[in-house]
Amino acid sequence: MENPIQGQEEINLPKDEREKKDGQEKNLVYTYNRELFYSFDKEKGFTKKVDYQYTANQAIIKQGWDAAEERLNDVKRQVIAGKRSPIAYFMEKKLMDIPILASYMNQQKWKIKWHLTNAGFNRMKRATLERYAEIFEISPEELKKPSFFT
Amino acid sequence: MIKLDFEHRQAGHCESGVTSNLLNYHGFKISEPMVFGIGAGLFFSYLPFLKMQHAPITSFRVWPGKIFERVTKELDIKKEIHHFRNPKDSMDMLDKILMKGLPVGLQVGTFHLTFFPPEYRMHYNMHNMVVYGKENDHYFVSDTLMEFPVTISYPDLMKVRFAKGTFAPKGMMYFPMYVPAQVDLKPLIIKGIRETANNMVGIPFPIIGVRGIRYLAGRMRNWQKRFGDEKASYYLGQVLRMEEEVGTAGAGFRFIYGAFLHEAAEILQQDWINEISIEMGENANKWREFSYLGSRNCKKRAKPEQSYDFLADILLECADREEKIFRKLIKIK
Repeated sequence: MENPIQGQEEINLPKDEREKKDGQEKNLVYTYNRELFYSFDKEKGFTKKVDYQYTANQAIIKQGWDAAEERLNDVKRQVIAGKRSPIAYFMEKKLMDIPILASYMNQQKWKIKWHLTNAGFNRMKRATLERYAEIFEISPEELKKPSFFT
Repeated sequence: MIKLDFEHRQAGHCESGVTSNLLNYHGFKISEPMVFGIGAGLFFSYLPFLKMQHAPITSFRVWPGKIFERVTKELDIKKEIHHFRNPKDSMDMLDKILMKGLPVGLQVGTFHLTFFPPEYRMHYNMHNMVVYGKENDHYFVSDTLMEFPVTISYPDLMKVRFAKGTFAPKGMMYFPMYVPAQVDLKPLIIKGIRETANNMVGIPFPIIGVRGIRYLAGRMRNWQKRFGDEKASYYLGQVLRMEEEVGTAGAGFRFIYGAFLHEAAEILQQDWINEISIEMGENANKWREFSYLGSRNCKKRAKPEQSYDFLADILLECADREEKIFRKLIKIK
């Protein structure tokens, strides 16, 4: 029993698509670690097996990362256009949002929002800048002038 | 240098897996589904007003930490749970407990977890793992998600134990001190099943339990109209990620719970529970079908292959099945 809903898949998929699917299964996107899965079959009952995530699930995971990348590109465009500060870019890059960044910085949310604007960013103290750089795991110079500007 | 003789066993769900492994170390043999069942881990809630990664949260399990709490309480296990303000203190305490020869469970954030699969490294703070040894500046870690035991360095461990954001772990560590050798599981199983059944069908609140599934189905029908194709597909993806991704062992814990019912039937010697476990397994397969068909919409975001009405109908069927199952289970004696 490879896949708990294999029977179901075969009903749903026409033959040529099924073959295509088999081919896809060989080049999975995420193959870092094999996980434990439970499955159920009427004859065998509940069984366990260790395998990579199913192809269908990998597509779902990939969707999440694609959306994150898209958001990052949006923010990058805004930063280059001068609408937001580089902190907005690195915040998105580290998958953070304002509440998470605020708790890492130990500061109020409105202050983070202020630093996301260029006006607030330019008037920021050096120590605050260094703290941000430390959280984003980059140098303060990189934060001041990100490499994608050049 | 200290390395305890800790058996690394992979598990579907991190918290029940860690609890089961810790008890196993103390000589109390208990399986992961059994821990999950006694801890009344199964749940459902859809929280449209709380967002994670820009989409509403769907939860298939109880509050994090509840399973360990319930299981140790019910089994009458002596345990300690600690929270810390100072990272240095928390690491010293960890070393001290390890020196005493006790493996320690830790709550950590996954974003900076160096050994974790890159695709799961998000700001998710409810992950659990066991530290069972230390050599120089490296700790030996048994993470139930990973196939093999791993190691992590001192600064990295400190960082993940003090991750920030929602449900921040605050260096939380827990470990059983004394575990009784023999416990009669029967009353605990009955209590656990009753609790779960009550959570699923007994709470008159629209976003919890079986009602929650129906509520989600109703919302899903309107997603396309309200948010457009792109966002609807992203929202659906979020539901599926919570259902299938890291630490549910598939189908939002329904498989684990079915396995628990199967085990429980043997211990209680009540055959009708075994029949229900089969129903649960079929219900879990239905959930898998939902995620399989739904994942096609996530692949082609601009052009959904399956209509949201069709997916919502599958959810309604799951809700009906679960209602039937838990209405029967709530009468367990």
